[in-house]
Amino acid sequence: MATLSNNDIAHAIYLVSKEKTHAELHEVNNKVVRFLARRRLLSKSPDILERLNKIINHEAGRIVVKVQSAKKLKEEMKNELITFLKKRYKVKEVVLTEILDEKLLGGIKIEINDEIIDLTVKNKIKKLQEHLIRKI
Amino acid sequence: MSTNYIVENLKKEIDNFSSQIKAEKVGHVLEVFDGIAKVSGLSDIKSSEMVTFPNGEMGVALNLEEDTVGVIILDDFLKIKEGDEVKATGKILEVPVSDNIIGRVVNALGVEIDGKGVIKADKTYPIEKVAPGVITRLSVDKPVATGVKVIDAIIPIGRGQRELIIGDRQTGKTAIAIDTILNQKGQNMICVYVSIGQKDSKLRKIQTRLEEGGAMAYTVIVSAGSSEPAPLSYIAPYTGVSIAEYFMDQGKDVLIIYDDLSKHAVAYREISLLLRRPPGREAFPGDVFYLHSRLLERACRRNQEYGGGSITALPIVETQAGDVTAYIPTNVISITDGQIFLETDLFYKGIRPAVNVGLSVSRVGSKAQIKAMKKVAGTLKLDLAQYRELEAFAQFGSDLDNATKQQLERGKRAVEVLKQPQYAPMAVERQVAVLYALTKGYMDDVPVDKIKEFEEGLINYTENKTKKFYKEVMETSMWTDAGEAELKKAIEEFKSNFS
Repeated sequence: MATLSNNDIAHAIYLVSKEKTHAELHEVNNKVVRFLARRRLLSKSPDILERLNKIINHEAGRIVVKVQSAKKLKEEMKNELITFLKKRYKVKEVVLTEILDEKLLGGIKIEINDEIIDLTVKNKIKKLQEHLIRKI
Repeated sequence: MSTNYIVENLKKEIDNFSSQIKAEKVGHVLEVFDGIAKVSGLSDIKSSEMVTFPNGEMGVALNLEEDTVGVIILDDFLKIKEGDEVKATGKILEVPVSDNIIGRVVNALGVEIDGKGVIKADKTYPIEKVAPGVITRLSVDKPVATGVKVIDAIIPIGRGQRELIIGDRQTGKTAIAIDTILNQKGQNMICVYVSIGQKDSKLRKIQTRLEEGGAMAYTVIVSAGSSEPAPLSYIAPYTGVSIAEYFMDQGKDVLIIYDDLSKHAVAYREISLLLRRPPGREAFPGDVFYLHSRLLERACRRNQEYGGGSITALPIVETQAGDVTAYIPTNVISITDGQIFLETDLFYKGIRPAVNVGLSVSRVGSKAQIKAMKKVAGTLKLDLAQYRELEAFAQFGSDLDNATKQQLERGKRAVEVLKQPQYAPMAVERQVAVLYALTKGYMDDVPVDKIKEFEEGLINYTENKTKKFYKEVMETSMWTDAGEAELKKAIEEFKSNFS
């Protein structure tokens, strides 16, 4: 038997619970939990849930974006960012999670799934350091 | 350098600096152990792509699985923690190359380790490259003068050839390689010595020896010591051949020595097992043949249209108790164009270099010899083979016919002449003179224990007396009748005075 990856399981859960009513969903959930217990996969449930979340977000055309900045972002800037991200990733909805980190010195760092756009001053200084080491 | 100059320079470079904004692919470390990291994310990564860890450590993605990537870490892995951010660079692993690297000792990443300061390099070469194709190649017909009589005469090596040096521990494998490097002085050859999993003390000894012999002026040493993690041992030969390719691309001839590939295979086995790849024979992974074939295939001789130059590879493989049928020895024997087989028995009998002439071959053969050497060495191999066969008979009794006796005497003298001390490579024209005297029978009545003395004296004498012969062999690689007559006369003269 081929081994099931967490991703496969999450995908299966998504498919069985799609377009189900509330009562049906309860039944499905019970079965899923029983399945996981039988296959001794309960310890992997956090990972499976995270993957399920990603699948649901993907299907719903939604992305979760982590924004790190040194100072709190202004409202208009946030809106601008959301329009930009919507266009870049061709999605309907953008969910922003903000994290403040003074060590970044300035600018912002955007994290979408496994992609990072680093526009912080810290990163620029680091790059300048590398450049100078290489050239001089 | 004045402070002003430094400040000006800094200002200029800062003005030149422009940071490019781009989306980077990142992942996170799930687990780290024994020089290996399992990383999540990194969705678009390529195989053997470089990745960087937060403290600047470099890694190479080897195992691409459904949701994790197996990365080998090319630095100290103890500083890497779970959850660390891993960045993909989009580049296949590269090493810096430049002309300044000559005379230096570098590690597997091309970074200096000899304490002589940073090596300035503005070019990088990828460590994995597809070997030159058929159209770009030229057949091997120019010799590499190793300076070792038995090799130059019987198992000649050509520029662009791959000749394996194989034998048990302590049989003089490295000694042959080092002698070959020492003999490349003035031969228009760049040498790269790749030390894989060797003791640092041994490397230091080799480096000192090469420095004393003035060989570091054209040699690069690439080292992955035994105290360094296995991934570095794994990439060291590829780094070496990339450096060699840089010089070949300038049309130069390069000699590269891999010391040794058994340790390289062991390092790769370690990595593969840690990455949970299925083990095969002797627990080596399935692709261990490809590991060496793709490395050795990069040795080649290119034709002028494609820039010329050549890479000659001398891989070294260590056997256990003379067993050449183990996995790695058979693999490498089948990949290379011949092997120099060294034996413990011969070594302890005092025949050094301990080359077994019967089992050693060069598949390029006499094409890679100068004409003069071809002429004198032609019968030598046959003489030695017959001697070996008769030697067994001779032990049973002394009533042998004259022809047999003579053959035995000739054989004994041939073995004696082919002995050579370490670190004493001999120029090819001298070898020709000595072997001429041997094969023409001038040594037949010299006592066996006086052969060495005779040889030395002969070289000194003829070098002064037969300048014409030496000049002819050196310049046209063949003697003329006049040259031969001069040599004959000199040998006879020397012999009559020799006692």
